[in-house]
Amino acid sequence: MLRELASGEHNIGELAAPFKMSFAAASKHVKVLEGAGLLRRRVQGRWHFCRIEPAPLAAADRWLRFYQRFWTEQLDRLDALLQAEDRPPSNPSPRKRAKP
Amino acid sequence: MNVPRVVKVTHHFSASPERVFDAWLDPQTAGKWLFATPTGQRVRVEIDARVGGRFAIVDLRGGEEVEHLGEYLQIDRPRRLVFTFGVPKYSPLFTQVTIDIAASGSGCDLTLTQEDVPPEYLERNEGGWIAILAGLAKLIAENS
Repeated sequence: MLRELASGEHNIGELAAPFKMSFAAASKHVKVLEGAGLLRRRVQGRWHFCRIEPAPLAAADRWLRFYQRFWTEQLDRLDALLQAEDRPPSNPSPRKRAKP
Repeated sequence: MNVPRVVKVTHHFSASPERVFDAWLDPQTAGKWLFATPTGQRVRVEIDARVGGRFAIVDLRGGEEVEHLGEYLQIDRPRRLVFTFGVPKYSPLFTQVTIDIAASGSGCDLTLTQEDVPPEYLERNEGGWIAILAGLAKLIAENS
């Protein structure tokens, strides 16, 4: 059904036809997809036109990419900090590290 | 459809597992790096390092305070640290972060796993859309 929807706007009858599905069954699937935010429905009179909504998929992908980068940078930062702590101070300035 | 729902990052450290582990929970050390950005300014670091304890690490970015909040779920020094994590300024939802540390040579390997893309992105109903898509894929296969 998603594949059908990807090709543009369809009414529920059109979506149901290739699957030999009843209108009621198709309507139920449309409702599920709509609830999942994957589908947008436009009502015109007694016709319901459906269109795929790719935003949630893209948003999830963006979220994953964002945090992948975020944690990578965080761990690089921690690594740099630990390595800096290991290096003896180059000049005899007072040490900044707190006493245990 | 197979959508990855987990962020996984690994990093090798030349420091010992204990030192890397403590860097997450010691306020002094964590304050220097955790949730820090190059342009941000650290405002507050509160870490209650016990199971059920919470943390609040606050940065000032572009004149606005950004709070990183969470609760410690598992503290197994130096092997494993599990906490919830959220940034309320950007999303009301919290995800779960697991830090696994394994000794490797004279240093250690850290694996960070962040689980569950926030439901606002994936699950707008109780079943979750991955289940819905799996069901649909099956339905489509059966009908074509």
